[in-house]
This record gives sequence, structure tokens and C-alpha cells, in this order.
Amino acid sequence: MSFSRSGSTTHWNSIKLSLRQGTLVPLLASTVAGAAIVTPVLIVLWRSFTTGKLGFSVGLNLNNYLRVFADRDILPMLGNSVFYAAGSAALGTGLGAMLAWIVARTNTPGKALVELMPLYPILMPPIMKNIAWILLLAPRSGILNGMLQQFFGIETLVFNAFSMAGMIWVFGLACVPLGYLFLLPVFLSFDPSLEESAYIAGSKPVHTMMRITFPLAAPAFLSAFVLNLLRGLRSFETPVLQGTPGNIKVFVSRVYDSMALEFNTGLATAYSVVLVVLSVITLYFYVRATRFSERYATITGKGYRVKVIDIGPWKYVTFLAVFLYFLAGIVLPFVVLIVVSMIPYFDYDTFMSFPSNAVLNNYYTVLKHPSFVTGLYNSLVLSVTIAVVTVLAGIVMAFTIHRTRAVGTKIFEFIGTLPLAFPPLVLSVGLVIIFLGTPLYNSLWALGIGLFVAYFPYAFRNASGAIVNIHKELDEAAWVHGARWRHVFFKITLPILKPSVGGALFYIFVESIRNVDVAVLLTAPGKEYGPVTLFEYFRVGQWAEAAAGGVIYLIILIVAVSVAKFAFKMKFSL
Amino acid sequence: MAKKIFTGGSIAFVAILFAWSAARAAEMPNMDTMKKAVEKGAQKVMQTAAPSPTTKAAQAFEKVSKELYPKAKQEGNLIIYSVWDVEHLRAITDAFMKRYPGIKATYWQGRNPEIVTRVLTEFQGGQASVDIILSDNAPPVVRAAGAIASYDTVQRDVLLLHDPTMATVSLQIQALTYNTKKLKPADLPKSWEDVANPKFKGMVALDDPMRAGPLSSMLAGLKEQWKDNNRFNNFVKGLKALGVPVHKSTSAMFRLVISGEYAICMPALLHDVMEEKGKGTPVDYVKTVPPVVFPRQAGIYAKAPNPNAAKLFAEWAISTQGQQVIDSVGRETSRKDFKSKTSIESAYPKGTKAIPVSDKLFLEDPKKWLDINVKPIWEG
Repeated sequence: MSFSRSGSTTHWNSIKLSLRQGTLVPLLASTVAGAAIVTPVLIVLWRSFTTGKLGFSVGLNLNNYLRVFADRDILPMLGNSVFYAAGSAALGTGLGAMLAWIVARTNTPGKALVELMPLYPILMPPIMKNIAWILLLAPRSGILNGMLQQFFGIETLVFNAFSMAGMIWVFGLACVPLGYLFLLPVFLSFDPSLEESAYIAGSKPVHTMMRITFPLAAPAFLSAFVLNLLRGLRSFETPVLQGTPGNIKVFVSRVYDSMALEFNTGLATAYSVVLVVLSVITLYFYVRATRFSERYATITGKGYRVKVIDIGPWKYVTFLAVFLYFLAGIVLPFVVLIVVSMIPYFDYDTFMSFPSNAVLNNYYTVLKHPSFVTGLYNSLVLSVTIAVVTVLAGIVMAFTIHRTRAVGTKIFEFIGTLPLAFPPLVLSVGLVIIFLGTPLYNSLWALGIGLFVAYFPYAFRNASGAIVNIHKELDEAAWVHGARWRHVFFKITLPILKPSVGGALFYIFVESIRNVDVAVLLTAPGKEYGPVTLFEYFRVGQWAEAAAGGVIYLIILIVAVSVAKFAFKMKFSL
Repeated sequence: MAKKIFTGGSIAFVAILFAWSAARAAEMPNMDTMKKAVEKGAQKVMQTAAPSPTTKAAQAFEKVSKELYPKAKQEGNLIIYSVWDVEHLRAITDAFMKRYPGIKATYWQGRNPEIVTRVLTEFQGGQASVDIILSDNAPPVVRAAGAIASYDTVQRDVLLLHDPTMATVSLQIQALTYNTKKLKPADLPKSWEDVANPKFKGMVALDDPMRAGPLSSMLAGLKEQWKDNNRFNNFVKGLKALGVPVHKSTSAMFRLVISGEYAICMPALLHDVMEEKGKGTPVDYVKTVPPVVFPRQAGIYAKAPNPNAAKLFAEWAISTQGQQVIDSVGRETSRKDFKSKTSIESAYPKGTKAIPVSDKLFLEDPKKWLDINVKPIWEG
């Protein structure tokens, strides 16, 4: 770094050097991406000051905000939200990090199986997990309590899906994939010299892991944690399905009530601003915690080989841990869904009578649905495109923040995460307003941009967490040799980020293929997007048909991932 | 003596004559009575000769259909926003397009808040994007924002719930539903009010009364019917005193009743119950408790790009053919003269009077209605 700051360099040369090293193009690209994100947000924010019930214009005023601040339920609801979101994020990210470490750094037996087991639960949409776990954990009709009663004579209702613990468990499981996919590339690209130094100094493996390995993974861990926390704060399905029956009220229900009961997007946005404030606070701590990015650089100019740690007999424990997650993450809910899809109706006795009462008519119903196949095809094409564009844009923005000399780029940390603070329906209103009256409205482009905005935070946070782990000396070596920013970006940064890119592509593809919330207002009449059938069944409460659709959907994805992995040797961060 | 006998005889004769005359008068109609009888008879004759409401509606539909079809065909398209299932929308639009070749019907499906948000955003942005808003809660709200063009159907006489501004094409019928494995017929609630009986504590799955859902619409219907604030307040207090959790998802609540988590569903939709009963699911509804009916309307968007196609669709959906299609997908029909398994005449004992939800304030501004009528009791 010192060469570029020598006193003898003229001001003009300094600017030229700065441009060559990458300021203008990445900054411009990030600004375009940032504008796409910020514009709908600014629109809904403006409307929060100018519109009232039914979208009527009420002039510039603070009425919506005054109502938010006068809401006496806001603090207890926020308390519940923060507890639920933080608990889920901690459980999910922690479990994901542990799985990533086991897969990447330990000599756990059954490598191929261990690599795949954490991958499959990602494919199961959160709402399917919700339904399956409600059927498992419901107090009086749940399968687990029923089994405890039937086989062990335990009358006490041990499990309760409609409790804070139940909510954290289910949403926590839905948070594991992000933790896993964010942390795995970090552990896979670890320069083991620091760990080796610790071993030489006499440190034991567990001690080294706690003192060296995990702290170095802090940026990626915090990135995943921040994302999961924000997802939890605005998540709606789990609080509605599990929280409301347990009398647990969360903050985001106020946002939805503003939309569903008052039809007031201005008020909904004013409530969402509370989530924005929480996001800013969270991001502030994240930026502070990772401000000395050099500390976390594990990929340096020195050659290295990822070292697998021999954890001795603990390797069987780690195998068991991965297997237990595989059971809880997909096997158990998947089995429940398979049975529910094949029995006439769900109650404990009927469930336990399976397979003597098996029927296949739900599969017939789903397959003859008018839009099941077309919807799936349409969303497949769009999701692949969105995943590629979003991940690339996310890396460029992370590159702009961490690798360019442009001033004030830290603002992108906030902008890049902003969409996560807004519930999808609120954000969609901003997007609809942008496109209204233009040829883009009701086109695939509008839907594509909507999905881009919605998933950008995942791509960005993933890239931001990973780029910090690459030491700047690699870029500097290139600059010394006269490289321009594009050489550094495409020949150094991008190849090194390959594992992260693979994980983010996979995650955004899987998420956007099942997106309904953001897409719903941007889908044109007559254009089916996504496996709408499947989610429609969930939305209208036809759980048996939904389970049948879910089983078909999961089988397609599981086969696709397995074929990609084994036949085409495709890597999903692995 | 003879004089006395004569006088006495005369009085007796007059008395007998009077009595006889009175008796005859009672038997014979007077002029007024006769006139009324003649009028009544004439009315009967006229009624026999005049077409029935069904025939009148059919004739009116054929006439309006002939008028609208050429114009609608010229427009060429019909765009529907609806909360109904895609399968249902597909069946309905396919049947419409078959009946009226040359009109391409497309749809977009969303939930009520999504429909209202999308329509109002488009309306305020001047977008001519949709023709028909087909839903339950959404059309009155959209109308309150001025985004519905008033249209009074020519088939109004056959509708159970008629709104002169929007065609009621279907009904949402709420039934008091229970799990047959959990409750014996003898233990069933006798009325909606009886659900608040403390003996049902812990057994009831209650829809959230503070959201625009089935329970709040039932409360609006009951309040309107009872016209007795004390009775209404005691009912809401009774429900609150049950101390049971509330649900924001009616469908999930219904599933939990089927699974046995709860015994009573307060309330469930009749078409869901009928469909599940048909599959052998252990649910049934209390036939002696009158259902609550809520209109499902086809509102015509104020800036509809295809207004004639929209009117034609609204009329067709109420016609016998349209109602047959609506019935075939399992939804309740809106005509009084259309019999199906989900019609009130078939599903409930003869003479059952449904409880309609027609409170304008509730329909157009549920939040305000709830704040006035329910919130002080429920959250107070």
C-alpha cells in the first residue's frame, strides 16, 4: 500500500492511479445497483409522509409516524420480535457454522455423505418446514406428543409448536442454510499457517478452533447472522402459524395489519421504518466489528493447502451431529409431508395407520393443476438469470467497499442490506409505482428487477463476508504489475471467491424459484410464475395437496442437485 | 195474560230472527271482504300468467348478453384480479371463453390485501389494468376508494344478497363446524352465542376477531341482526373469557380442528366443510345454527380497459350457466333459485334464515368498525 501514498506522487497521478486500481467502474456499477434498490425504498418512504388510508393523498405530514410512536403495544412486540429473530439467527447461523466446519475442516467419516447432508435441507421451503413441524409438535394433536403418550405413557404435553421455543426451533432450522453456505467457503479457503502456529505452540484442536479458526471466520459469521436476524425480524409465516395461536405477538404483524386491515401502505412503511432503524443498528455493529478487515484475511499471497484436522474419536460425534441435522432439517419433515400427502386427512390416528390407508389422489390433483408445470418452467428460467446477475452485482458492490479507494463506500453496506428491512409487500408497492405507466409494467423485466432487489442483500452480504478474507496483498501485487481493476476483479477476486459464488448462486436460485411474496404484485395477469400451485395450496390451507406438491417439488430439486453433484461434478460451495 | 204471551212471543221471534241474521252475516262476506277476495284471486291469476323471477332473469340475461357480446368481442380481452384458487379461475374463464368466443380472459391471483394494494396503486397511477375484481373483502374496499364503476345487474331479483353497485356472484357461507371425533351431537353448541359458554373453554379454535376475517364479519352480521348492544357485548366478552388462542389463518385453523387440536371451529367456510366431509374427514357443521353469509362480488374497475366484457362477465357469472360452473368448482352460488349441495336450502333445515353481512361501514372500512364495536371489549 505504501507505494501509492508516497509524498512524491502528484495529486493528478494519485487520481489516475486510483482510477486504474478500480474506482470508477465498480463505483458506477454499485451506484446503479444501489439506485435500483434505493428508488423503491425512497418511494415508499415518501408515501409514508404523504398518503393515508386507501392510498389517498393527505399532504405532507407525520400522521403515520405519530401513530407508530403512539402505539402502546410496539415495545412488547418489538421485544418478542428481537428475541425470536436473534434466537433463530443464533441457532441457525451457529448450527450452519458448525456444519461448515465439520464438512470443511474435519476428518469426519463418510465424506461424500457428510458433504451432501447439509445441502438437502436448503431445498425445503420454510413454509413446508412450518407445516411439517406444526404437525409434529402441536400440543394435543402433534405426532411427537402422541407418540410419547402412546409408547411411553407420558401424558404431559412435552412439545408445543405454538411457543417461542417452537418458533425459534422452526425458523432457526430455516436459518441454517445461510450460515452453512456463508461459512463453508471461508473454512475451505483457510490458510492453515495460523492454526499450525497454534499447534506448534502446544494448543489442542478444540482450543485452536475456538481461539483461531472461529474468530477468523467472524466476518462471514456476522454477515450470515445479520441476514438471518433481519429475515427473522420481518418474517411473517412462522409468527402467524405458530406465534398467534400461542398468543405471541410480533412487530411485523403491525405492518401486515396496516396493509390488510387499513389498506394503508403509508402506515405500513412507517412501521417498517422501525425495522430499518433496527437494521441500521445491527449493521453499525457489524461494520464496527469488521472494520479492521486485514485481521480477517485468511487468503494471502502465500501458497497453502487446506488442512483437515484429525479430531480423533470425535469424528463419530461430528458425523452424528451432521446426521441429526439431516434428520431434523429434512428427513423428519419430509417423511411427515410424504405421509400427509398420502392419507385421507391428518390426525394422529390416521397418521399412525399409514400405509394401510394410503391414497394417491392428492398427487393426481396436483399434477393435473393447470399451472403446475408451466409455472415451474417459467420460474426456472428467470431464477437462473436472477441468481447470476444478483451474485455478480453483489460481488461488485462488496469489491467497491473493500477494494476501491472511493470515499464513503461504507454507505453501500447499508444500501445493500436495506431491502431486507422492508416486508416484501411494502417493497413491492415501491416497485409497482416505479414501473406503472412504463412498458416495463407487467413485463418479465419488472419481475426480474423486483427479484434482484429482493435477493441482492443475500448476494451482497455473502460477497462482503467472503471478500474480507482475501488479503489485499494479492490485489497489490497485481497493481504493481500494472493491472487494472478489471484484471484484479476477474482474475483474482472472482476466482478466489468461486466457492462463495457457487453457494450464493445456489441459494438465490433456490430461494427465487419459490418466491411468491415479492413476485406477487409484479406478475402480469395470465403469466404464471413460480410453483404458484404449490404455494397456493399452502395459502388456501389444502395441506394434503400442498404436501403432495411439495414432495414432487423436492424430489425434482433433490434429483437435480444429486445429478449436478455426481454426474456433472458441480460444486455447491463444496 | 194473552197480551203478555204475545209480547213474550214477539220478543222471542225478534231474538231468533236477530240471531239467525247474525249467523248468516257471519257466513256471508260483506262487500269489502268480497272485494279483497276478488283482488286476491286476480293476483293469483296474474301470478300464474307472469313469468317467474327465474324466467325473468333468464330473459333479461339473454337480452343483455346479446347487447354486450358484440361490444365485448370488439374489446377482445377480459382481465380479472381475484383471490380465488387458480384452478377455479381457470375453470371459470375457460367456460366463459367457450360461451363467448373471441374474448380472451386472463387472471391474476393474489390475497385480499394484495388485490386492494395493487388495484389502488394502479388506480391512483392512472393505469387501465384490470376489468373485474372478483373477491369477498376486496371489492367494497376498492369501491370506497372510488375505483369501482357502479353496475346493477339485470338479474337482481334472483340474488340472495343484492348490491346495486356490484354483482354478487357467489357467497361466503360460514358454518359452525366441529370435529366429529371430539364432540358428540348432544354436546354441540346450540347457537353461535353458545360457543361462548365456559364449558367449551380450551375446545374452540377462534379466528382473530381483530382482523378482517370470518369471525369479524360474523360479528358484524350478528350485531346487525340482533340490534342489541348488550347482547353483542356479552357475546364478545364471552368469547374473550374462553381464553383460547386466536388464529390469523382461517385455513390453518380449520386444519387444526380436523387434526383434533381443537373441537370447534369458529367459524369455517361451508364449502371447505362440504369438501372435507366428502373425503370422509371427521368434520361436520351444526345444521341448526343459521349460517352467516358474506357476498363475493365481481366489481367492475373504474378504469376498466374492457368495460363491456366486464359487464358481460358479471352477468354471465350470475346466469344459470355461470352459477353451474361456480358450483362445479365447489364454491357457493349466489342465486336463490339455484340448488346445490352448498346452497343454504340444501345444507340447512327448511326455513333457516341466514345472517347476512351487509354493514356498509364494516364492508368498506373494517378497521374503523372493529375499533368502534370490538376493540373496546376485546382489548379493553
